Amino acid sequence: MIYKTGICNFCGTGCGHLMKVGDGAVKGVFASPDHPVGAGRLCVRGWHIHELLTTSERITRARVRKDGALRDVPLDEALALAADRLAAFPPEAVAFRASPRASNEDNYLLGKLARAVFGTNNIDLASDAGQGHTVGVLLESGGLPAALASVADLREAGFILALGIDITRQNPILGSELHKAARRGARLVTLSGRRTQIAKLSGTHLQNRPGSMRIVLAAMAKVLLEEGLVDRASTGERTVGFDGFARALDGLDMGRVAGLTGLDLEAVRETARALAGSEAAVAVFASGISGLDRETIAMAHNLFLLAGKAGRKGSGLLAATGICNIAGSWDMGATPRFLPGYVKAGDAAAADRFGKLWSARLNGKPGRTVEELLTSSPPTLKALLVAEHDEGLVRHPEALAALDLVVYVGAYDNPFARFAHIVLPAATYAEADGTYTNTERRIQLNRKKVEPGPDILPAWRIWTALAAKRGVIWPYKTSSDVMKEIAAAVPAYSAVTYEELEKGFGLQWPCDERRPKGCPHPGELPGRLSFAAVPDRFTAPAPTGDHPFLLTAGTDNTFWHTNVIMKKTHIPRREYNALLLLYPQGLVEISAEDAARIGARDKRPVRVVSASGSMRVAAKVSTDVRPGTAYVPYFIGDMITGFLDAHGSLLEGGEESVVPVRIEKV
Amino acid sequence: MHILPKADLRRLTGALAERYALYGPVCHEVSGEVIFDLVDDPSRIDLDIPIPYNPPKGVVFPQAERIMSFSYDRASKAAAIEPEALAAPKALVGLRSCDLNGLLCLDRFMLGQEYVDEVFLEHRKKMFIVSNTCVHPFPQCFCVCTDSGPAAVEGFDLDLTDIGGEYLVLTGSAKGEELVRGLGLAAAPAAKAALRAKAVEASVALFDAQAKDNKAWISRAVNRLTTGFIPHEVWEYIGDQCFECGACAFVCPSCSCFNIEDAAEGEGRSCRTRAWDSCSFEGYARMAGDHNPRKAVEDRRNKRFFCKLSFSQSRKYLRPGCVGCGRCVRVCPGDIGLPNVVTAIRRESTKQVPHE
Repeated sequence: MIYKTGICNFCGTGCGHLMKVGDGAVKGVFASPDHPVGAGRLCVRGWHIHELLTTSERITRARVRKDGALRDVPLDEALALAADRLAAFPPEAVAFRASPRASNEDNYLLGKLARAVFGTNNIDLASDAGQGHTVGVLLESGGLPAALASVADLREAGFILALGIDITRQNPILGSELHKAARRGARLVTLSGRRTQIAKLSGTHLQNRPGSMRIVLAAMAKVLLEEGLVDRASTGERTVGFDGFARALDGLDMGRVAGLTGLDLEAVRETARALAGSEAAVAVFASGISGLDRETIAMAHNLFLLAGKAGRKGSGLLAATGICNIAGSWDMGATPRFLPGYVKAGDAAAADRFGKLWSARLNGKPGRTVEELLTSSPPTLKALLVAEHDEGLVRHPEALAALDLVVYVGAYDNPFARFAHIVLPAATYAEADGTYTNTERRIQLNRKKVEPGPDILPAWRIWTALAAKRGVIWPYKTSSDVMKEIAAAVPAYSAVTYEELEKGFGLQWPCDERRPKGCPHPGELPGRLSFAAVPDRFTAPAPTGDHPFLLTAGTDNTFWHTNVIMKKTHIPRREYNALLLLYPQGLVEISAEDAARIGARDKRPVRVVSASGSMRVAAKVSTDVRPGTAYVPYFIGDMITGFLDAHGSLLEGGEESVVPVRIEKV
Repeated sequence: MHILPKADLRRLTGALAERYALYGPVCHEVSGEVIFDLVDDPSRIDLDIPIPYNPPKGVVFPQAERIMSFSYDRASKAAAIEPEALAAPKALVGLRSCDLNGLLCLDRFMLGQEYVDEVFLEHRKKMFIVSNTCVHPFPQCFCVCTDSGPAAVEGFDLDLTDIGGEYLVLTGSAKGEELVRGLGLAAAPAAKAALRAKAVEASVALFDAQAKDNKAWISRAVNRLTTGFIPHEVWEYIGDQCFECGACAFVCPSCSCFNIEDAAEGEGRSCRTRAWDSCSFEGYARMAGDHNPRKAVEDRRNKRFFCKLSFSQSRKYLRPGCVGCGRCVRVCPGDIGLPNVVTAIRRESTKQVPHE
């Protein structure tokens, strides 16, 4: 047998694959036909994961910076040095950044290393801004801090709302489910400013003005109230906070909706009625670097709760995680806010429980994100350990260069390593056992396929070794032992074992004594859900005379979040290059009407000017954006990142963030 | 024709395993998934299970294959080029006729034209093929629409037909005859030999009831694709549904597109890899100087169906490029497996007047 079952390691969909292995090396990959999520499908990234796994751009030796250059050293020496130097700083001056592509075991132990060995809550995750907002809203509402709908629910739903994201690019196989739902007759509505592929495949595309999605959702909620389409249970004893939400909606003048959103109000009304009239409904949006802001997610949650489509089997929000283990990393507490299992980091009882479990005295002081620490003034951060990181932090090169210590732990060589004083090689996901939790809470076991090189350890073993260097001996022999401790630490994972995982295609948490086989439909769980607090003011970014365009940013198929790793493949890299070669300076997408007005032509340079910066890129004249709207794919990072960095909000706030600009012909 | 008792299948596969790396359809212990794979234990091969999800073409035309190494030594200015080690002989057991026809298409593309692909030839010439008649169709099958089943006509060394309790063994080559002699198989009496044709007939009769997932009445589509009388809107409708994953090409038993990539391995050494490619990719058709004759996704999509069904392309394969296995339907994130495209083209071609 050369084909071994496994889980794709790119996006959070978590499709199953069969990895072809021979002569101790990865040789190829094929879709797993019976996997419950992928069901025999993979996307362009998934079909080429073997190209990444066989790249020669690997980190294979431990390296330490001496006289300005990184030099190979024995692994043990680098581990000892990293542990000693990290311990030399006060806990507040040390931070850890986990990888959203790492396994649950890796990230659980990195959190334990940060908190129980180095005494700090300064641990966070890359590329997860949207997930934080999603988790926040869902925790606030009293439900699970994760998707209430499963992928299988998309196959039953009568109404599906795709918010913003071009899901055919971010999570293509989820996008496939949406398309297939529409083909079997479900009502698929896309609400997005750009005419994306999923918009083209939708029966209805509500092409709103960028930044106004929250208002469209609020208007739909108000239609439900006005027309008596509200689910009775939602306003009664099953929920909390209805009155507050209704009061907030009073602030929305329906007469202004069309003006604020650019949509025909009747289309919005009709969509709201379709939502209310459906038996089961799911809303899908991105949860990751291109996710939505808190207010928009809160409004979507409230709308679904009002329509009786939350807390019901087969219905709810499905936050599509953009990277394979964003969801699991949050479950494992790779965030300054929560210990494993969404226990508040500053909570005394929690600190006590985890202190006992970890035999350590935990720091009661909540941590801060690496982003906050790097940008704080005066700077307090001295030492940073980063796991398998690809791009985001490079936005702060001066702050990184000023740190006393940067430790980089990863499998692939990348531009971030140039900031490192110590580099430790880590195994790829194909070289270690580990579990990954997908966008629908499905915990899946991926078995080791090939042996790592002689100096290369799985990340969880590296964290164990660093703890040992500090005199803290952890007892884990295998990653299965780590899962046993996770089961003890996280109630929703308490019945998860490798033995059980191996019997099928994973377990959807909550998976505990009462639900040992997991829970595909948490919407049926008993309990009251709350309406999330939302502001009662409804404004949207508006163009001005000086800056008549609303500029947004987004991702694409072959140039994906962690573009550094996609560049190590052959075919996806070539596909990215196909676009880049046409627009070597980057591009801004504008409508033909606008192009004619400013005299811009396709592939010819224009200048994009905002209140705080400008960039020179090529115009891409397109029918996919409306007049007055401009779009930049931030995947052409090398050319555009500088401009976007000056507008931090555009990256932090996700898809609904807007920068008013003017575009001039050059 | 000869007779092989079912219980003796193991003797056949065992004999092959002595001389060849043995490949065949196997069922995964836990998931139940059927894949075509290299087997250590000949008894793992099961001829009753459904068509494997991966096409056997990967054995002769791997997803990614090192085909050459080269090096350059700066000091001595010496350059060296070395071909990769030659492929071991392989036996493919249990090939369904669709997959065998796919292999024959690959032969005609790789070997039957002006240039012979030596890497492919190396895999192919040392091969033993045992085909397996489909005595009943599977839900996704439409080989009867593409003239590629349910039984093999050519290209096998041995062909097995299940007649209940035993296989009829048809020999297709001297190698096959030699193996039959070596195993000492009994000759089939005429009455039994006639059962192969009956089994095929019975299988075809079952298509209406059992092969329900797909139908592809390709002749009208062949006509339209060859003459080009397909409105652009039909291609746009198809192109909008393309997720550009490449999967249809990867699972297709007859798709032969590949990419060549050279990668440095350090110390002056590099390797050349050949890998599956797909005409659905924008970068596939892009030419030097940035011209791309098939830039738009719908133009790339129509290339695929032109390749599978046009008459001019069929002349190269000596048959339609589609072999009716149904894999592209299941693997497609859109809904544009070949049967659906054929339906879209036929629907368009039978439209009498435009809708008001």
